[in-house]
Order: sequence, then C-alpha cells, then structure tokens
Amino acid sequence: MLEQILSALMYPFLFLSMFFQVLLLISFFENKKKFDEEEYHKLEHFPSVAVAIPCWNEERTLPATLDSLLALDYPKDKLSIMVVDDGSKDNTYAIAQEYATKYPGLITAISKENGGKHTAVNLALERSTSDFFGCLDADSFVAPHTLKTIISYFDRDPEIMAVTPCIHIRRPKTFVQRMQAVEYLMGVFVRKAFGSLDAIQVTPGPFSIFKKEVFEKIGNYHKAHNTEDFEITLRMHKAHLKIANSHKALVYTVGPSTAVGFFYQRLRWARGFLENALDYRELFFKKEYGNFGMFTLPMAFMFVFYGLYAALFAVYTSAKQIAQLVERWLTVGIHFQIPTFDIFYFNTNVMSFIVMVMLTMFLLVLYISNTLTDDRQQFFRNFPVFFILYPFFVPLYLGRAVFDTFFKQKNEWILQDTKK
Amino acid sequence: MIDTRKYIFTFVLTAALFATAFFASSFFSGKRVENVKEIQDNIAIDILSSETQFDLLKEVSCSNVNDSMLSPQLSEIGEKLSRTESERGGTDPDVVYLKKYYTLLEIKDYLLSKKLVEKCGAAKKPVFIIYFYSNKGDCPECEKEGFVLTRLKEKYPELRVYSFDYNLDLSAVDSMKRIYKITSSLPALVIEDQTYIGFKSVEELELLLPDTLKENMSLSATSTTSSTTKKAK
Repeated sequence: MLEQILSALMYPFLFLSMFFQVLLLISFFENKKKFDEEEYHKLEHFPSVAVAIPCWNEERTLPATLDSLLALDYPKDKLSIMVVDDGSKDNTYAIAQEYATKYPGLITAISKENGGKHTAVNLALERSTSDFFGCLDADSFVAPHTLKTIISYFDRDPEIMAVTPCIHIRRPKTFVQRMQAVEYLMGVFVRKAFGSLDAIQVTPGPFSIFKKEVFEKIGNYHKAHNTEDFEITLRMHKAHLKIANSHKALVYTVGPSTAVGFFYQRLRWARGFLENALDYRELFFKKEYGNFGMFTLPMAFMFVFYGLYAALFAVYTSAKQIAQLVERWLTVGIHFQIPTFDIFYFNTNVMSFIVMVMLTMFLLVLYISNTLTDDRQQFFRNFPVFFILYPFFVPLYLGRAVFDTFFKQKNEWILQDTKK
Repeated sequence: MIDTRKYIFTFVLTAALFATAFFASSFFSGKRVENVKEIQDNIAIDILSSETQFDLLKEVSCSNVNDSMLSPQLSEIGEKLSRTESERGGTDPDVVYLKKYYTLLEIKDYLLSKKLVEKCGAAKKPVFIIYFYSNKGDCPECEKEGFVLTRLKEKYPELRVYSFDYNLDLSAVDSMKRIYKITSSLPALVIEDQTYIGFKSVEELELLLPDTLKENMSLSATSTTSSTTKKAK
C-alpha cells in the first residue's frame, strides 16, 4: 500500500519534468532559425571591456587563464584585465605582478585582504571604466573568438544587458569530470532554450559579460550565500534587465576531479540556489517577471524537493531489488544461469515507458547541444559514466542542501570545492 | 510577455506523450496476458490429448506411454504467470482468471502423473512437490521457499512443482487443501504424500526427494551430452 502511494506520487513529478522538457524543446525549435543567424554579425566598432579575475590560491591555473585572455581576438587597447588577489597564501600575486609588468596597461595586479569572491570582483568593478565588465574564474579559459562573439550580441540588440557563454569542461579525465562533461553539454541546449524564454537562470562566473550600466542600476555583487552569480541574475530579472546566451562563445572550466570535490561544489550551488530563491521569493508567480517568475524559477525551486524525492524513490526501489537478490543468494547460494532472452520479461509498467520517453528526449537534447556548440563533445563515450554516476550524487547533495538550509548550517566554501 | 498558447500546446503535447505511455503499457501488458492464455490453451490441449490416449490404450502395455505425456510447458507458464501477477497485482481480474486456469491445469497434470504411476508402476514415476503459498503478506518465508523451489527445478529439470495459492477462491484448491490437511500455516509442502509445514532449504528437500530423481538427472545428463555430440557431427 505504502509503495503504491510512493509510486503514485512520482507521476505528477514525471509529468512536470516532461512538461519542462517539452517546453524547452518547443521554445528552442521556435527560435532555431534566429539562433543560426545570431552568429553572423560583424562588429563595426569595438567597445572597451574589463575582465576581472578573482583569485584565491590559483597559482597553478592562473597563467593559463591569463594566456587565454591574451590570445583573445579583440583589440588590445580596448581590453583591460584585472587580477584581484583575494589574500592568497601561495604565489598567485607574484604571478599576477609578473604578467602586469610584461603587459602594462593591459593587465593590472591588485592585492587585497581576504574577503570573499564578491569583494574581489567588486573591487575590480569600482576601478573599471570600461563599457563592459565580465569576470573569469582563474580555473577557466576562453577561446580566441569568444569575446567578439559575445560583444556582437550587445551590438545587435541594445536591450541586452548581459550575455552568458557556452561552457565546457576542460579536458575531462576522471570519471567525475567526464560525468560533468555530459552535464555541461546538456547546459548548452538548456541555456539556449531558457534564453529564448527570457528566463536565463544564472550568469555563470566563467565569462558572463555585463553592460557596465547594469551595476549602476542594480548595484555591485553581494555575498549572496556564496553564489553571487545566481543572486545577480535574480536581481537583474527583478529589474527587468535582459540576459541573452551565446552558444558559440566558448569557455572552458576545470570541473572538480573527485567525487568529494564535486559533492561540495554542488552542495554549495544547491544551497545557494535555495537560499537566494527564498530571498527573492517575491518574484514567484508574478506575471511581470514573465516566464522566469511565473514558471522556470518556481519550477526549479520545486524540483529541488521533488528531485530529492524521486532520487530517494529510485534508491528505495533499487535497494529493494538488491535485498531480494541477496536474500535469494543467502537462501540457495549463487548459481549463474545463462539468461534466456524472452521478450515476455520486458518491463511493461507505465513508469518505465515514461522514463523511456524522457530518456529519448534527453538524448535528443544532448544531440542538439552537440550540433550547437563549435566544440563537439564525445557524448557517446561519456554518457554511460553520466548515466551510472550522476544519480548517486543527486540525493546526496540535494538532501544535504535542503537539510542545511532549514537547519541553518553556514554555507561555507569547502577546501575541496573548486570555488566557482 | 508570457505566451499562454505555448504553455497550452506544451501541456497538450505532454499529456499526449503521457497517454501514449499509458496506452503502450496497457497494450503490452495485455499482450502478455494473451501470451499466457495461449500457452495455457496449448497445455490444456496436451492434457486432453494425454487423457484421451490413456482411455484409448487402456489395455495396452506401459511401453506405449512415453515421457511426452506430461506437458513440459507447465513450469515455464508458472514463471510467466508470477511475473504477470507481480506487475498487474494479485487482484487484477485477468490475473485471477489466468491463475485459476493455471491451477486447474496443475491439478489435471497431477492427476495424470498419478495415472501414469498406476499404469507403469514406480519405474516411470514422475517426482513432484505440491506447494502451498500465500501472497497476502502473511507468509514471510514463502518468498524464500519460492527461491528454493526455483533452484530445485533448475537443478532437476524432471521435477514437477505444483504451486497453489492458498487464498485462491477455487473449489478444486479447497479439495487439495482438504486432502493434504493444509491449514493457514505456510509455506506447506507435500512430497510423496507426506505434508511438511514451514520453510525447507534446498538441502533439506533433496533429502526428502526420492533417489530416482537424482538417478534420472545423471541419466538425462548423459543423454543430453550424447545428443549434443550427435548434433556436433
């Protein structure tokens, strides 16, 4: 009986998830033609752009990050790069200074006492006089054409106030990174579809570019439960500032390589999402905030809880099956029979058909993502890793995030976390 | 700002996909019931044919009675039926119907094997276990006993296991219960006309089974090998 109730509760969740998938697919295909045209826009003049690199113990990756910025196909006199060392204990500042001496006028090195990522970005923001401002995490790297592509969006539509890029995991090696590679690949489509609904969920730390006037209108970055990039997006939606996504502007970021690192990163994200969404609950179900307020934000909020439920349900059902298998082994011992293939034994319950439909749509999404991006990913190789590993993480970090949010544990950076 | 038509369209499309999933599920599940029914019909014909053969050969010697008199499909159908039951639930009318049908076939088969013994004596005696279980959650050991019996069938393909749902509303089952004095304390097993109550492991059951079964197994093992060698040639 209990089991029937538990399983019945899954159906509204499955319906909503499928609704979401279908909505994104429809919105995407509606605007497909527009997306294709977006990329053929030549810039007549180049506005000035400032890029801040907030650093905290980043000596290992900082040089490569700076090199990727130096390799940008953009007039150097229009570019200013500010490395803000947020009280690192390693050689970060020395490296920054070295680059600053080598490229005077282009790269500036700033050192300050440790105060958190938002303070580092705000310091750069206050010193910047450029028309555009962006941030690049010190473990992320841009492709040469990225900035040009992003700026062309602002040029085409003066209403656009911020542009988010297409992010890939840089050289995924470990299983955990390969899993993220699939997740980020899915993000390519999701961002594009959200963009066409005017409902972009987050302007990510790696290379989202803002018009400088955004900060004049809505203020600088806040601490925002250590997810300042999500909070500023909420503030932009609140002020009705338009955000677009460029799927050809490539950015690479280093994903956490271990399961523990990944867990803590996601815990911080999920927690930050919950806390900030609660802080901005006034946006929920308000017509004036469009698709974002009426649908995508409340849905995302609800999915945290429902996702947790679905994950626990999946754990429960698999645990039951495993328990049965173990009991069988304990009763009669382990005997391997050659399994006979009989179509009769295929699972024909409703849920498995629904999951099959959703899985097909998910693969379609990955396929679309791979056609959108200029850097095709090996999703056939990485997909099985994603499919097997990802479900184990979801209940862990969502469960912990929900618990911590309601029992008010402090949301802190954890050392293993890659600080994004 | 919000395109209501798009949301309605999305809703309709999602509902259609959902409905398709429901439809597909009931379609394939229905196919499964049909499949079980079809096999049961075959078994019914087999049994009827064997009974007719018995009647015809009343006066003839045992040599005319061969192994194929008992239907080999009975144990296959048992597994398929229990899978169907676990998916559709024990109260599903199709499942109840199929179960009653299956139970009657089992009893028929059981009577037939008794006849076989009468006719030919102990030499060709089929070995069978009668098993009473309950799915109502009041028999914690029944699932384990099921594993044991499945394992035994794997080990001794000649063994015939007749399993009866204690709670099945069928007068023939009530008669079986009366004959073997089965009460609600389950699992209950009948081997060689002797009733055993409570869980029995593979080893315990092997001790209770007649030796002929084990001999037969080694015999059939040799015959399988020889037939495979023939095929290989």
